[in-house]
Amino acid sequence: MNKWYIDKGDQGDIVLSTRIRLARNLDEFPFPAKLDVEGKNKVNELVKGTLFENDGKDFSYIEMKDLSRIQAVSLAERHLISPEFAAKKDGSALVLSADESVGIMLCEEDHIRLQVMKAGLALEEAYDIADKLDSMLASKLKYAFDERIGYLTQCPTNLGTAMRASVMLHLPALTRCGQMNRLANTVSKLGLTIRGAYGEGSLSKGDIYQISNQITLGITEETAIANLKSIVLQLVAQERAAAAEIIKKPVEEDKIFRALGVLRNARLLSTDEFMELVSVVRLGAARGLVDIPIEKINELIVNMQPATISAANAEATNASARDVIRAKTVREALA
Amino acid sequence: MLCQNCGKNEATTHIKQIINGDMAESHLCSDCAAHLGYSDVFSGFGLNLSEFFGGFLGDMMPSLSTGNAPRCPKCGSSFDEIARDGRVGCADCYRTFYDKLLPSIQRIHGKIKHSGKTVSAAPVQPKEETVEEKIEKLRAAMNDAVAKQEFETAAKIRDEIKALEGGEN
Repeated sequence: MNKWYIDKGDQGDIVLSTRIRLARNLDEFPFPAKLDVEGKNKVNELVKGTLFENDGKDFSYIEMKDLSRIQAVSLAERHLISPEFAAKKDGSALVLSADESVGIMLCEEDHIRLQVMKAGLALEEAYDIADKLDSMLASKLKYAFDERIGYLTQCPTNLGTAMRASVMLHLPALTRCGQMNRLANTVSKLGLTIRGAYGEGSLSKGDIYQISNQITLGITEETAIANLKSIVLQLVAQERAAAAEIIKKPVEEDKIFRALGVLRNARLLSTDEFMELVSVVRLGAARGLVDIPIEKINELIVNMQPATISAANAEATNASARDVIRAKTVREALA
Repeated sequence: MLCQNCGKNEATTHIKQIINGDMAESHLCSDCAAHLGYSDVFSGFGLNLSEFFGGFLGDMMPSLSTGNAPRCPKCGSSFDEIARDGRVGCADCYRTFYDKLLPSIQRIHGKIKHSGKTVSAAPVQPKEETVEEKIEKLRAAMNDAVAKQEFETAAKIRDEIKALEGGEN
């Protein structure tokens, strides 16, 4: 089955993906940090049983202890799990749909972290899927909930709707123009945050940013989504305008084609070099300067991450072996 | 633990990251974290959230912590422990320490009243009973009624059982 990210969605020239994540806990069990492995396994079995009995059509159940480090990190590189979750072993499990668009982390920070991913800008659609699955679980399981402060979560920053809506954006032109600091400040005043693609503390690689709602209490899911969407659309418009200006300059146009030249011919490509070059090429492709489908570039960005290469190629046991495979794959994809 | 970067100050920011396909953990003091761009790419939100929240709660803490401080009846957490870790132990902690937590919740979110999706107040639907289970229950109730010499009730229940058995055939 095709994975969800091998697709170009709405606003796909700038928006890579949309994610909705709901945090839920079961009332009768302490939160995961206060729960032993036995207790965690009970929670996992309970949620798994409910899910598979009622909507198990294409889900698989993966216990984190059964995954190698490479496999776990690869899941995090594809944003299917959090980096923290990749380090977990006993007592943590993942439910994943065949196209990888729906994932449920069990006993991460909360008992249930339900996430739905979609290509492009698709906040309402993703929320709709998450909402339905959540309502099904809520009808069978007793959630930790308080009428006053909403869904109860281990970290009080998630109280209320416990919904985090995020949009992944490729903003090479705004980055180049030195606008990101200013935009980040503006956005933070509106109850949103922008950060690097791999979450807290990560620097942006390949000019990819993640923008998400910060406030979860006292604001409905619909309003939070509408706010985020309107800001994303403004960022998209600004990025397009900046990109249109940039590619008029011969020196910038030259950069795009040089980057493409390297990607098409290199025999060794490190992750950093690849991300830097692919970002430049993607800018050219998004503006119609380079004739490469955006979907193909998006797929490369996902599949050329280090652990994902190692997970797919047994011989890629170290960075230099990966650099050879990465260069070869990219060369063939862009030929 | 000392900061891995300067080796001088206490490390307060702990970061799990994926670098070149592997997990890496860094322990930094707040100055070095900010300097190295870890306090988020931009706005200083990238601090470990529990540190961040712990900080929020920290200045609310009474300086004296006594041995017989109230504890959550379910998970045994005290309010001091929650404030120190920035993590709440279980759903009952919120009920036990609601008033103490509220000011911090307000500072984080600006609001203290949830709006949005709710869990319906109705208890969780039990699994649907099979006819056999229903009949079994009614029989018990009928015997109970007979024992109490409430023959009218017993007769009603008997009719119900008959109806159910009829439906089964």
